[in-house]
Amino acid sequence: VNPRPLTVVLIVPTGVGASIGGFAGDALPVARAIAQISDTLITHPNVLNGAQLYWPIPNALYVEGYALDKFAAGCWGLQPVHQNRIGLILDAGIEPDLQLRHLQAVDAARATLGLNITDCVLTDRPLQVELRISESGASWGTIGNPDSLLRAAEKLIKQARVEAIAVVARFPDDEGSLALENYRRGKGVDPLAGAEAVISHLVVRTFKIPCAHAPALSALPLDPHLSPRSAAEEIGYTFLPCVLAGLGKAPQLVAPENQQHNQLSITADQVDAVVIPATACGGSAILSLSGRSSVQIIAVGDNKTQMQATPEKLGIKALQVNSYLEAIGVLVAKRAGISPASLGADISSLRRLSD
Amino acid sequence: MDRPMTTHFISAEVDLHDTAEELHSAIEIELQKHGEPLRWAVTDVDVDRQKAVVEGYVLVEASPAKA
Repeated sequence: VNPRPLTVVLIVPTGVGASIGGFAGDALPVARAIAQISDTLITHPNVLNGAQLYWPIPNALYVEGYALDKFAAGCWGLQPVHQNRIGLILDAGIEPDLQLRHLQAVDAARATLGLNITDCVLTDRPLQVELRISESGASWGTIGNPDSLLRAAEKLIKQARVEAIAVVARFPDDEGSLALENYRRGKGVDPLAGAEAVISHLVVRTFKIPCAHAPALSALPLDPHLSPRSAAEEIGYTFLPCVLAGLGKAPQLVAPENQQHNQLSITADQVDAVVIPATACGGSAILSLSGRSSVQIIAVGDNKTQMQATPEKLGIKALQVNSYLEAIGVLVAKRAGISPASLGADISSLRRLSD
Repeated sequence: MDRPMTTHFISAEVDLHDTAEELHSAIEIELQKHGEPLRWAVTDVDVDRQKAVVEGYVLVEASPAKA
């Protein structure tokens, strides 16, 4: 008899100032560790993308945030693939030299990694990304021409039949701002992250296709005090390699009626556990998964965020742990069929139900 | 797609519900008053008033121009 595979979702929401995972792919070590004790790890670009750096995790599924929300709600399944045919969208607002840098990053990914990136489209208008910080402290942003982004995606899908889309939008150079200075010191909120999520969510929502985004920015002056957590974004000219590597094997997004015909697709009812920062339990995916009794929500206390949405305030049943190391211990126990409570010094009395 | 679209940030308060699933539905219904929800999260809960503080953004597609 095959044991039930252990399927774990790891979420570190984008743009909420997570102290682990709020910078340049700095939750990737957490993902690598959790993948070691999971059969399948489902996580998202904010966790796995380290600009020039990434790590191929054979049992990890790279799922964009909007798709992850739909998956958690039971609307979409995840269909693993061998390789996706990738198309590239370049924002017309990117200067010619910076466009060339990105095209060379694509060529490098084709030649050195063997990725199947076939076609490129320039948007018919500049996307005009603007950055904002909300009252809660989360970053977000607006796109001046979302219809231009979607026309470019449609062209890639219809004319080139791509199966995944990488978007590169020109983001405002924020040099000299306090937000950027803090970010480079490994503090505060990633000022770009919220707007990046808007871009990829738009494409995924409209076309139900894997998508991820890399911002195009001018190179920053050398900073001797750069935080290790932010350093992956300052070792090259683009943030694109991790996006291309992730999309190369990102699962296809399938509707429920198609899942019945494909036993390989993964659906929300197969999720055993979800690991989340304790103050960031208010997202769509967690609210959806908390309704499934088979899902253990593991809330990690020392990954601080700007959010205040704890499981207690939301009435969500969760196991609170201090650290990711402890969360990994819980997952090991779960896999072995051991109650985490039995590993502690104090074991509570058996509860006696009243008549 | 040929029609102009815009993305908007929305801040709202939604009554807490008995279950997280009901809260999820209530948030989507509230955001849909402003457009198509793209991303949202409960950022805090006012426990005394039993209100969830929600931030999100929606997509708004311009209506076709009248002839």
